[in-house]
Amino acid sequence: MNVFIDKGEFVFFIGPTGAGKSTIIKLLLREEVPDKGKISVGDVDVTRLRRWKTPAYRRSIGCVFQDFRLLPNRTAAENVAFALEVIGKPKSVARRVVPEVLELVGLGGKEHRYPHELSGGEQQRVAVARAFVNRPLLLLADEPTGNLDPDTSIEIMRLLDRISRTGTTILMVTHDSNIVNQMRRRVIEIENGQIVRDQARGVYG
Amino acid sequence: MRAKYVMSEVFLGLWRNISMTVAMIITMAVSLTMLGAGLLLYNQVDVIEEYYQTNLEVVVYLDRNIDEATTEQLRAELEASGYAAQVQFESQDEAYERFKDTFEESEDLVASVDPTVLPAAFRIKMNDINDADKLIADFSERPGVYQVTNQRDILQQVFDILGGAQRLTLIVALVQGVAALMLVANTIQVAAYSRRREVAIMKLVGAPNWFVQAPFVLEAVFAGVIGAIFAFATLIAAKFLVIDGEFKDLFSLMPPISMQSILLLLPILTGISAVISAITAWITLRFNIKV
Repeated sequence: MNVFIDKGEFVFFIGPTGAGKSTIIKLLLREEVPDKGKISVGDVDVTRLRRWKTPAYRRSIGCVFQDFRLLPNRTAAENVAFALEVIGKPKSVARRVVPEVLELVGLGGKEHRYPHELSGGEQQRVAVARAFVNRPLLLLADEPTGNLDPDTSIEIMRLLDRISRTGTTILMVTHDSNIVNQMRRRVIEIENGQIVRDQARGVYG
Repeated sequence: MRAKYVMSEVFLGLWRNISMTVAMIITMAVSLTMLGAGLLLYNQVDVIEEYYQTNLEVVVYLDRNIDEATTEQLRAELEASGYAAQVQFESQDEAYERFKDTFEESEDLVASVDPTVLPAAFRIKMNDINDADKLIADFSERPGVYQVTNQRDILQQVFDILGGAQRLTLIVALVQGVAALMLVANTIQVAAYSRRREVAIMKLVGAPNWFVQAPFVLEAVFAGVIGAIFAFATLIAAKFLVIDGEFKDLFSLMPPISMQSILLLLPILTGISAVISAITAWITLRFNIKV
């Protein structure tokens, strides 16, 4: 398969279970390295990226998952700040940026809640805030609405749409036909590792 | 900030898994104590060798009832043999004086020995100590000669005992060391499991590898250093309680183990233990659980 995604695009990857959608995320994160073929993000050739350079590369990517992956013993603000601390950003940066990004995702006023005190949608907003706090070029979303009810899912999609408007490329893997049909963005359908459809402003079909 | 985070993770990790931490420190301490003892013995052999090498003599002990003429004849023959650089006669009285000097701290022993029991002797400085066997062969059957001994042979027995003790300590050190390192690997795996969420997120957001690995490696290093300090304390205690205490008389036969050489063990043991623990932890992380 051969795909080119332009900067700032919003792309859905759809397809049946086992088609290879999540593998795309793993390849882009360089959690897995392909046997053959080539993957480039910006001017980085991910397939030939040295192991020790992977962390620096991942800092240019944000990622959210179906299961949120928040730290249960940290508040919303601390979860976001953690992503900054561990890549060596000074605390002063975290103090300035974290409230901003939490405001952006609509969690103003809930900074000090722990994940178990937040709804699923709110937890996913924290996860989005954490993925976006570094202003990545590329945001990967692996079924981000998979655990959410339809209304909450639409709110998360609005949030991703807003992030997309800042120029961030968004690549989302999903099963959710409602969302794909409502958003009317580029849709790439995969089956058995092959592209069967690549449609600008597509529907789930 | 990051250093603070790493340190708090290290101690949290050690505390969360306290029984394993204690087991790790104990096995390391035992292993390092044995290693330290082995190194001290190794050093001791060198010290003894150096101490005696220049002073080694062959001693020809004479019969107690030997007459003056035979003594003089023996001296002449020894001097003429070509092996001896210097032949010195030691009368029975002189031998007793020497005996008293050597064991001046053991008054009972001195008191129990009759001055006439000790034989007179020729103490021979050899031109070449390796000729000692030839000299022994030549003279041990002569009339008036009671026994010829090469001090090096006696010393050799001491060396054999020290060497055996040294091998034993090193084997125990090795076995315990292997056990300690397996505990390190195990501890690291448990720690990595209990911190798997943090680790996954750190890797996801692109924290540098060293930063992800640092808390685990430092946990192992910390345990290693504590183990080394315990081992050091044990050796110091052994010096005071065993060598200078309970078994003083036994150890007074050889040059004392100096405080200095024990103190030198602290940096050596700490260094060895820290480096090996760190490497074990890193290998566990890198190849076993792929942190």
